[in-house]
Amino acid sequence: IFEYKVSRVDFSGFKEVHEEEKSKMVGNVFSNVASNYDLMNDLMSVGLHRLWKHRLVSKLHPFPGMKHLDVAGGTGDVAFKILENVNSISRRALQHGLEDDLQGETEIYVCDINPNMLSVGKKRAIERGLGENCSLKWVEGDAEALTFEDCSMDGYTIAFGIRNVTHIEKALAEAYRQVFYELSSYYSRSSLTILSIQVLKKGGRFLCLELSHVDIPVFKDLYDYYSFSVIPAVGELVAGDRESYQYLVESIRRFPSQDKFAAMISEAGFQKVEYENLVGGVVAIHSGLKF
Amino acid sequence: MYRSVLKRLLLINTKTSNANRRFLPQITTFSTKTSSFSHQNHPSPQSILPQTLTSNNNNQRKYKSDYQEDQVRVLQASLRHVVKLGWSEAAMISGARKVGVSPSVVGSFPRKEAALVEFFMDDCLQRLIDRIDSGEELKDLIYSERVAKLVQIRLEMQVPFISKWSQALSIQAQPMNVPMSFKQRAMLVDEIWHACGDNASNIDWYLKRTVLGGLYSTTEIYMLTDNSPGFHDTWEFVRNRVKDAFDLGKTVQEATYLAEAVGAGLGSSLAGFVKGVSRG
Repeated sequence: IFEYKVSRVDFSGFKEVHEEEKSKMVGNVFSNVASNYDLMNDLMSVGLHRLWKHRLVSKLHPFPGMKHLDVAGGTGDVAFKILENVNSISRRALQHGLEDDLQGETEIYVCDINPNMLSVGKKRAIERGLGENCSLKWVEGDAEALTFEDCSMDGYTIAFGIRNVTHIEKALAEAYRQVFYELSSYYSRSSLTILSIQVLKKGGRFLCLELSHVDIPVFKDLYDYYSFSVIPAVGELVAGDRESYQYLVESIRRFPSQDKFAAMISEAGFQKVEYENLVGGVVAIHSGLKF
Repeated sequence: MYRSVLKRLLLINTKTSNANRRFLPQITTFSTKTSSFSHQNHPSPQSILPQTLTSNNNNQRKYKSDYQEDQVRVLQASLRHVVKLGWSEAAMISGARKVGVSPSVVGSFPRKEAALVEFFMDDCLQRLIDRIDSGEELKDLIYSERVAKLVQIRLEMQVPFISKWSQALSIQAQPMNVPMSFKQRAMLVDEIWHACGDNASNIDWYLKRTVLGGLYSTTEIYMLTDNSPGFHDTWEFVRNRVKDAFDLGKTVQEATYLAEAVGAGLGSSLAGFVKGVSRG
């Protein structure tokens, strides 16, 4: 059941929230959490989020000269990992010097709807010594209406972001959309399933890392207890914002299950759709190919 | 394992001599009707077969077989770069670029270089089957010569890649690739014996395939260091080994007969002696 399609009222978290309000609410959550985002991530996932993002990047298998789009990647974690992967010494040692010229052509776009997250990301880039690196490009935009042209991206990732998109199908459609190298004007919003797939080139891959559903009996209860009792309390302590983290935890429960989400991805036109559960389903990486 | 496996499926249905085949490839889930299927070597992966029957189901079916064809095209194009770049991702990336597909597709192959090697092995097996079916070369040869000839034909397909074949062998020997490479070699050996008209139905079936498997592997490795023109040292090596194997088979048989005869002889003389003693 795609409640997003059927009614204009969307059950955001467990509070009934209207569409426009939801975008605003999400915006608020992230303006509030932006500054403490990284710290809270570490606390909530006990540092595991780094491993998950590392797994995401190794699945993506980046190559020099790649054009990649990371959506909802505000603070740039995934983008940094991709860049480091492409530029790593071990990779360069294996290249026989054939692809050095392509190295410079790598472009990684980090797109986020929230400018606060982007500025935190830019700061972190400078801290890591990637401030002058022209492969990293920071773009403010909405996952549902990307400003990139069709067929220009080799890869598209969205890590812990698709949950917050009001219309998941639209984001998927945009990911599939074909894009060229120049940024163009906004496309009018049409059906999600068509737009999202068009950003990718033929053979491009879509990867989504997201908190998902746990089915293992005892572990599920532990996880629920942890989510509903511990996380909002920690949110209050560290970020002074219980509401936002309560919303976060509830939105995880509202998100479609692994299989359903995979079906949605397949509906958008992607092929070879599969998913991999990490930590028993706490996190799942969905992937699809565009052909 | 894609196109060649499908072709073999179709082949199996039309061949009448199918009755002798005991080693059918396990492709029960491969079909252009059902959707994507893939292997992953990581804990709890799941493939999705969207059974949701929407109106674009027919289009989706077409797309699903399309991506595998495209993958095959990428692999085929990559083979041309192998001589320069080895059995590596660099070759696959160049191949993808040649075909006009984004190199990201390389990330979707489950075991990257192994996928390329396995594709090549399947391709060679398919070509071997085609050569066997077109059949003229094998008609006039005796049993043992046929085996040698088939091994030679198969190994000749590897000649263009001989400079990088040791790399392919090492890729095939990696633990995560061993099940697949073992299966491919088993299919190859089975194919060769079948073409020679093997009708064994007992322990011989396993014995023959094991012996031929060992023979094939040693020849392959011998070929890596062979510098003679046209590899004629290797073909000589194959013929000698095949002869040895057949001779060994005969020797084992003769030894069995001898043992039986001696046993019978001994038995009767012992019986005579015992009778003599009991009478006297």
